[in-house]
Amino acid sequence: MSNVQIDTQHRRRFRKEKLLDLMSRWTFMFPAGFILIAMLAYPIVYTIDISFALIDLTTFRVAEWVGWDNYTYVLGDSRFWASLKVTAIYLALSLPIQMILGFGIAYLINVEWKGRGFVRALFLIPMVVAPVVAGGVWRMMLDPLYGLTNYLLGFVGLGPYDWLGDTWLAMWTIVIIDTWRWTPFIVLIATASILNLSKDIFEAASIDGANWWTKLWSISIPLLLPMIAATFIVRWLGAVKMFDIALSATGGGPGASTQVINLFIYEEAFRSLYFAEAAAMAVLVLVGTMMLTGVFLYGSRKLEDLY
Amino acid sequence: MISIKLVNRRISRRATMLMGAAALVAHGLGSVPAKAQDGGGLGTPEAPVNLRIMADAAYGNAWQEVMVPEFNKKYPNIKVTIDPVPYTELLAKQMLDATSSDPVYDILVLDDPWTPQVAETGALLDIRNETAQWTLPDYDWDDFNAAPLAATQWKGVQYGVPMRSNMLLMFVNKTLYEKAGLPVPTPDLTWEEYLEQAPKLVQDTNGDGVVDAWAIDTYFKRDPLTPTIWQSIFNANGGRLLDDGGKPAFNDEIGVKALELHAELLKYAPPGSVSHGYSEALASFRQGQVATSFNWGSVYRNSAVDPKTTTLTPDQVGLQVLPVGAKMGGSNRGIASGTIQAKSKNKEAAWAFLQWFSSKEGEKHHVNNLGGFPARKSTLAATPEPGNEWLIPVFTALQQGFDFIEAGEMWRVRHPKSDAVQQALADAVAAVISGQSNAKDALDEAARRAARTLR
Repeated sequence: MSNVQIDTQHRRRFRKEKLLDLMSRWTFMFPAGFILIAMLAYPIVYTIDISFALIDLTTFRVAEWVGWDNYTYVLGDSRFWASLKVTAIYLALSLPIQMILGFGIAYLINVEWKGRGFVRALFLIPMVVAPVVAGGVWRMMLDPLYGLTNYLLGFVGLGPYDWLGDTWLAMWTIVIIDTWRWTPFIVLIATASILNLSKDIFEAASIDGANWWTKLWSISIPLLLPMIAATFIVRWLGAVKMFDIALSATGGGPGASTQVINLFIYEEAFRSLYFAEAAAMAVLVLVGTMMLTGVFLYGSRKLEDLY
Repeated sequence: MISIKLVNRRISRRATMLMGAAALVAHGLGSVPAKAQDGGGLGTPEAPVNLRIMADAAYGNAWQEVMVPEFNKKYPNIKVTIDPVPYTELLAKQMLDATSSDPVYDILVLDDPWTPQVAETGALLDIRNETAQWTLPDYDWDDFNAAPLAATQWKGVQYGVPMRSNMLLMFVNKTLYEKAGLPVPTPDLTWEEYLEQAPKLVQDTNGDGVVDAWAIDTYFKRDPLTPTIWQSIFNANGGRLLDDGGKPAFNDEIGVKALELHAELLKYAPPGSVSHGYSEALASFRQGQVATSFNWGSVYRNSAVDPKTTTLTPDQVGLQVLPVGAKMGGSNRGIASGTIQAKSKNKEAAWAFLQWFSSKEGEKHHVNNLGGFPARKSTLAATPEPGNEWLIPVFTALQQGFDFIEAGEMWRVRHPKSDAVQQALADAVAAVISGQSNAKDALDEAARRAARTLR
């Protein structure tokens, strides 16, 4: 057998092997890829698709393509802007509170003590309670007439407060419930991050005479900043789509004072059956969220570069 | 040579894995389970008919437990499964099933304003004509009150029969009226008299210096059903939601005054009532905290009779239409009606179930065992079974309510996009009650949105 023949055979085998390798990779990827496309890409494409259409409710199919009409209508609807404003207020209140509380609690409980694991497990409870159940329970606790919250506040001379009936307090109620629900998540991430910090640095700082505050401000926070930024982004993505707590606790009221954007979209789609307009709103919110997330990711990378 | 062998072995293993994966995928795609077949007609013991019904969770479970076993005494070969769905998701799920090429459900239990929307899809059977061959001779269509039967009429076709004839009524705690030194209301009570008495009904009943009873609790929160309170005041004063041309007409002076009155009621309601709706209003009435409550009449049994759910007794609780306006007393219709899917393969069995449920016999069983509200004049005129004497005054209120509903067109907008109009009204009422808008501006905005919806 000549060298040329052997070389040709090798090349053929190599090509066949490469092809089989490629095919097997794609075959194994197919189920996951199919599910991903069906569950994620298809709904997004469908949402974008119907946002340019008039939906015939008798068939749930596109009756007519209307171009940018749905977007023009949505952008001219004062309720859309009002619900965006409500969402911005909710985010501006809840995210900083949850971040500060989450990392603060994690820092404070980051000492070795018996039963720490058990307490950490307890932190998971609010996260596994269904939002609708949480909203209902909080509604009962905050009821001005027979709720536990006002009863307890009464012992220190406070209240009674109309937690769900006052427009401003209703927003705080949503923030409180959301904070109760999600702060433990941040505590868990923060605890893991703090435990990962090198002890050597703190020991060196102690030798140099650094006090508790100096260690926190000059070592812990700078080292944790990338993780704080990453946690913020994860939490931001969760918070921006919140609507279940508002739905179950206040129903968006009083008036429209707690009608966050996703609750508004939900109501327009599933109560008023304006699916096309709701789809246009969802696309606008998706684009806005992606842009802001991009900004936050850029900031996060800058922080990582800095520290 | 060794390396070539290894390559061959590797290819062989990859090829095997590839074939295995392909077989798995093919098996997964090809193994769709066959659809169950049933007997058709009214079924036989060997091949029973399986009926699927989608109904509001508020009463679906109770029907499954109480009504279905009674039905099966007469039709043992029809297996009925009622799937309870929360009210807020019900319409969307019913629409999805109705527009499906192969619907799962044989019977859809529709809320009062939904018939036009579902009927427009072509999904519903003309229940009066297309089932005539299976209708029993003693099934008396003329015995129904016109108002509940009209809930499932659309464009001259009857699409359903009333299964639960609810309506908005005024619950009265007679004890609190007596404590306030006021006469117990009668159906002749006017809105002027009601508002004159309301401040006196905000009272300290046990003398500890703290107010512990209020005049009213009802729908105040942002909810699609809150406008029914405003509408009952509006209709009682002669207002109409739409004009003869089908355009919004509710933002007139009558509508504005009715909305201001609805908001004024909040002054005499318990603290926090601005966020109250069906459940909260019901709870405060059952706990004896409010003298009146405007709520759906079907909750009477659990508010006045059943000691497991209420602190009150039938002697303490009155039930009547809402106060009288310039024209008549007020109410609002809330009929749950059974409709049959045009694509159902079990039409005869579905009609057998609906026919029995809405017959004199079925209504009687519903009334006596679940306190369900009937639609038939004969049931309302009959004497309830011993132990259910509490139903006598309830039936009187219901019959009066049906008469007012029919005369004053006291129902939600009847249109394929009814819920969108209701949501616009809900936003308007909520904005006024929370103080975020005045009645005129809010109703004008709702009328603008409704006009766009109805065009």
